[in-house]
Amino acid sequence: MGGESNMNLSHIIVILLLICTVSAVVVMLMSRRKQRRTLVTLNRMIDAAISGTFTENTYDESLLSSVEARFAQYLRGMETASKKLAKDKDKIKELISDISHQTKTPISNIMLYSQLLSEQTLSPECEACVNTLNKQALKLNFLIDSLVKTSRLETDIFTLHPTINEIIPMLKDICKQVEHKALEKEIKLVISPTKECAYFDYKWTSEAILNILDNAIKYSSSGTSILIRVISYEFFCRIDIEDNGIGIAVEEQSKIFKRFYRSPNVSTMEGVGIGLYLSRQIISKEGGYIKLSSVIGKGSTFSTFLLKQKPN
Amino acid sequence: MNILETQSLTKIYGSGETMVHALDDVNLEIKRGEFVAVVGMSGSGKSTLLHMLGGLDRPTKGSVHVDGKEIFQLNEEQLTIFRRRKIGFVFQNYNLVPILTVYENIVLPIQLDGNIPDKAYLDQIIHTLGLEQKLNNLSNNLSGGQQQRVAIARALAFKPAIILADEPTGNLDSKTSQDVLSLLKVTSQKFGQTIVMITHNEEIAQLADRIIHIEDGKIVGGALA
Repeated sequence: MGGESNMNLSHIIVILLLICTVSAVVVMLMSRRKQRRTLVTLNRMIDAAISGTFTENTYDESLLSSVEARFAQYLRGMETASKKLAKDKDKIKELISDISHQTKTPISNIMLYSQLLSEQTLSPECEACVNTLNKQALKLNFLIDSLVKTSRLETDIFTLHPTINEIIPMLKDICKQVEHKALEKEIKLVISPTKECAYFDYKWTSEAILNILDNAIKYSSSGTSILIRVISYEFFCRIDIEDNGIGIAVEEQSKIFKRFYRSPNVSTMEGVGIGLYLSRQIISKEGGYIKLSSVIGKGSTFSTFLLKQKPN
Repeated sequence: MNILETQSLTKIYGSGETMVHALDDVNLEIKRGEFVAVVGMSGSGKSTLLHMLGGLDRPTKGSVHVDGKEIFQLNEEQLTIFRRRKIGFVFQNYNLVPILTVYENIVLPIQLDGNIPDKAYLDQIIHTLGLEQKLNNLSNNLSGGQQQRVAIARALAFKPAIILADEPTGNLDSKTSQDVLSLLKVTSQKFGQTIVMITHNEEIAQLADRIIHIEDGKIVGGALA
């Protein structure tokens, strides 16, 4: 009798142990699944936040629901911050347009009156002063003009409207604009013929390339030539402007595209150091870029790469 | 802000008489969004440098910080995952998976991490790199230039902290090279992607915002941002 109850007892213990182990395993598996589900939900929340479609789904006493609420709060905070940034940007836009508007009249008045003054009979000293005044007013005019243009481009007040255009007509136009400067220094501008087309905004790209060509003439010695060439690739069109000018040192090659950078080697020449900055700004807005290769004393080649097709 | 920084990075191969300082006390800084070229002749240590920056090999001495993290404090497994998330590689021989389509190759690193690809961003990359017609092709049916464009798309897709490109146009003809490099340049501008490109070709390097010259394992110019 006693042996039988002992047997029964050990049976029960074994069975109980089995039940315990099985249920422990089941609980463990379930909690693991639950944990995994929680993490998957969190990952999904973040994916939704990245794509901007996050909404709160659960409202209960779970920790996950509270995390969701806090996350939504955080995202709202970020949204407010970015809205504030956009508002600040708008203020800057307004300020720029005010500045450009308000400075236009005084500057043109300065230029007008200094010209009137120069038409008077003046003593040689006075004439020298008036000449300087004239030159500086012109420089100021150019500077304000370029500054306003670059900031308008940077703040997206101006938007470019690139279309597929033939390149040669633009190059001819640009050459015409600098013809007199080239003639003065007896520099020959040579355009290689091409029928290539590219994706660009005619007016702005002209300005960008004009700045490059203008520099090429400025820093070339008389009697040299400047070659303008178009090379075609599968995705890009490349406009090379190659001069035999003074060249640019390796350390300076990336700096010359920065705003207001002027090489110490050319500090005696006219210029404010904004032209190439503007050029680069314009070309990169169109999805292209400008590359420079140069050897000091031998000359520089500025390569403007334009897209051939419209990007989406 | 510096996305990449090395401090007295040194790599020594061999010992005694055969000892070679492949990298000798290299300190450099790269800022977020910069396109940097590392130029040197073969044997100058530029590939060793790239392997260190990408956590593919461990240095003898010194440290590499990527996105604020000292990468050689991680163990092998952590380093593998760190590489996958933070570093995009573009190699000379493309390293695509031949049995996968172009699209599958591009999203592979994202899917390995169990994430859903950001469709809008992917579309932008695919369009910029001119791959929309090729998405369902097997990658080994493409030309070299096309394969390298897929590799660039794959590297960009994860929005890594840096893309390391090792002679990306080494196997391409000069005309195709120019296109691939242009695309690399334009994507770095458009997506603000930091790129470190290794090359022996000065002409190619001129595309970059900054050129770092390396000779006999030492940086001889352009180390600081």
